[in-house]
Amino acid sequence: MNIERLLSTRGLVSQAPSAEDIRSRAGSIAPEPMRLFYGETYDDKGHPIDSLKYYLFVSYLAEALKQEGSNVDPSILVADTAACRNVGQEHQDYYMLLGDQRAKFVSKVNDVYNTGLRVVRMSEYIDSPEFVAERDRVMQTCNADPELMAAVEKTVPESKVEIERVKGFMYSFDEIATILGLDIKVGPPREDLYDDVARRVAERSGQKGLMSLFLTPTFPLGMNWSYFFANEGIEDHGITAYKTGSKRLQRNRIVIERSDPDYVRELISASFISTNPAVPNPTLDIGIICEMAKRRLEGVDSPITLADEFYDGQISPNVLKERVGRDVETYVLSRF
Amino acid sequence: MLGPERQTQLEEISRQDHQAKLAKRDEELAYYPQKMAELDLKPIDRFRLYHPDPSRLMELGVTFAHRDLESVVGAMANGEPWAVVSGLNPSGPLHFGHKQVFDELLWMQRQGADVYIPITNDESYLVGKASSLGEARRTAYESVIPSIIAMGFSPDKTHIFVDSDYPDLYNAAMDIAKHTSLNKIFGVFGFGKDEEGENSGTVFYRGAVQLAQILLPQYEELGGPKPTVIPVGVDQYPYILLARDAARKKGFTPPAATFTKFGAGLDGKGKMSASRPEGAVFLTDDPKTAKKKIMSAYTGGSVLGSFQREHGGVPEICPIYQLRTYHFDNSRLAEQCSSGEILCGECKAQAVDEVLVYLADHQGKLPEAKARTPEFIFDTPIRSPLKVK
Repeated sequence: MNIERLLSTRGLVSQAPSAEDIRSRAGSIAPEPMRLFYGETYDDKGHPIDSLKYYLFVSYLAEALKQEGSNVDPSILVADTAACRNVGQEHQDYYMLLGDQRAKFVSKVNDVYNTGLRVVRMSEYIDSPEFVAERDRVMQTCNADPELMAAVEKTVPESKVEIERVKGFMYSFDEIATILGLDIKVGPPREDLYDDVARRVAERSGQKGLMSLFLTPTFPLGMNWSYFFANEGIEDHGITAYKTGSKRLQRNRIVIERSDPDYVRELISASFISTNPAVPNPTLDIGIICEMAKRRLEGVDSPITLADEFYDGQISPNVLKERVGRDVETYVLSRF
Repeated sequence: MLGPERQTQLEEISRQDHQAKLAKRDEELAYYPQKMAELDLKPIDRFRLYHPDPSRLMELGVTFAHRDLESVVGAMANGEPWAVVSGLNPSGPLHFGHKQVFDELLWMQRQGADVYIPITNDESYLVGKASSLGEARRTAYESVIPSIIAMGFSPDKTHIFVDSDYPDLYNAAMDIAKHTSLNKIFGVFGFGKDEEGENSGTVFYRGAVQLAQILLPQYEELGGPKPTVIPVGVDQYPYILLARDAARKKGFTPPAATFTKFGAGLDGKGKMSASRPEGAVFLTDDPKTAKKKIMSAYTGGSVLGSFQREHGGVPEICPIYQLRTYHFDNSRLAEQCSSGEILCGECKAQAVDEVLVYLADHQGKLPEAKARTPEFIFDTPIRSPLKVK
């Protein structure tokens, strides 16, 4: 699948740089590889199928660039150190172990879907002299510029700004220093705040700025229309893709290696679905993940047109639900 | 055939009339967004986007805003108890303006709501719309309640009471009044010089009885606190604020509200009202009367047919357009009117046909509806306010 077709996949890509900009970047850094990146934390509720959307997309993008002759370095960051910062001291060891499990899971994804993703753990580099020096440089740049520092503060939820201020916004600076030298960062739309600071820091130091590529938000399954109506703004940000327990909705997620296929079918069957493309469609989202997985398993490189078929009326809501219920088991759950 | 001079004169009149109607439309279109901003209401659009089967009035934007529907939708979608309360002054027979409200209540009942309809003969008497409590009470039983029943409400989920026949309401009113200060009532309703002639009953009614009607479904005898919706016009927002405040103090769920635009009177002089009978089609009108009112109605059209064919009408301010779209399925009418495809005479004739069919059907159901009144009358004792603590 060429870059244009991949980036225009309906229901998958929310915002992306143009194919031309991507090619131009690849050309300007050659023979250095294009650094494609997706980073995530995790919780103790398992590996959600929604992370798979990002892993598979990064591999699809890497494949498309390779086909055009570009050198590519697709990587997945398991931000174990960041995940540990979000929990109490007494849970640190447990969360490092969970990080190990998440990293192994990404490796398993590589085995199952032949995705060729490089798995990196934050703990592997966070204390290295090179990274510490880079982070110090970022901190100096930001501290010297009130406007930039205000942007750093914005990366933190309002309720936690004062706590993070005491900690010197270390969490944010680690994130920004991590993504500073990337070419394309794939993530959910809510990460724009980090990306923005990273681009501005890069600009001040004459570096190339990262290009943000946002995939569509993740939504809980098994919820009827009232949930979506009552949660204003969910259309834009959804729930956290990589944390199964986001908003305590773990029972409304598909968890690889854990979810029972019958339960998943029930969840999908009870999910809100609308033929209006302006509203969330959790079933379609899972369907697209299954389509990506299916193509990797079968070695097929054709475009993913499920959203087009659904919104053009070729697939009815009930048929989509039945099909996705089957496909989740066939192309994802049964493979782990 | 008109002479050229008269033709030019009529064209000029038509042009000026059309401009005035467009200006009126713009003014009316600006009014509700302004009110929404002023009162911090949310547009109904989001509800319409997610609900699998929104009401016709929501689809049309007639029900245009809400306050806190988020507190109700969980119950609505999951089959849990919730209620809607909409009171009515029995000062005369129902008209199409009332029907608009009851259509919305019927839709809510189909969504699972228990519908409470207080018939406020006490208010009718206090504000001078009826000469006695008894007169308003008679109108309620003779005309209003049968008309409501004939609209198709389910007896299992409809609870109608005439205020004066349901004294427990006044115990609840006393209970609520304890939580509502006079300062607050005066602040909300702005009692002042204009209200000097009002009697003390109106203060008690607005500050206690009406709030008791709104909060009644939440008393323990009726299952306790539950999501409740009150469909109102924007002018009634103060009641909602008072009721929400009293609900919090009572440990009830603050009631939500939906806001609906009033259907225009056929005389073009404001909302359809029984106080201007020539501007209202009553559900008891005979065919000749109804036809006469419709055919002589104010419209969004022009004096000259040729002008209207060229420039179109102004459906947004036209009572006939509203009558035909709020109550009947005429989804293309706005386009037909504003493009000049249909002129007022033809449109009115179609309106007469639609209204007469409805009236015949409705009036045919009234005798049976009247006989079924006891099935709908609500008389559950509310004794909890009398408990000794």
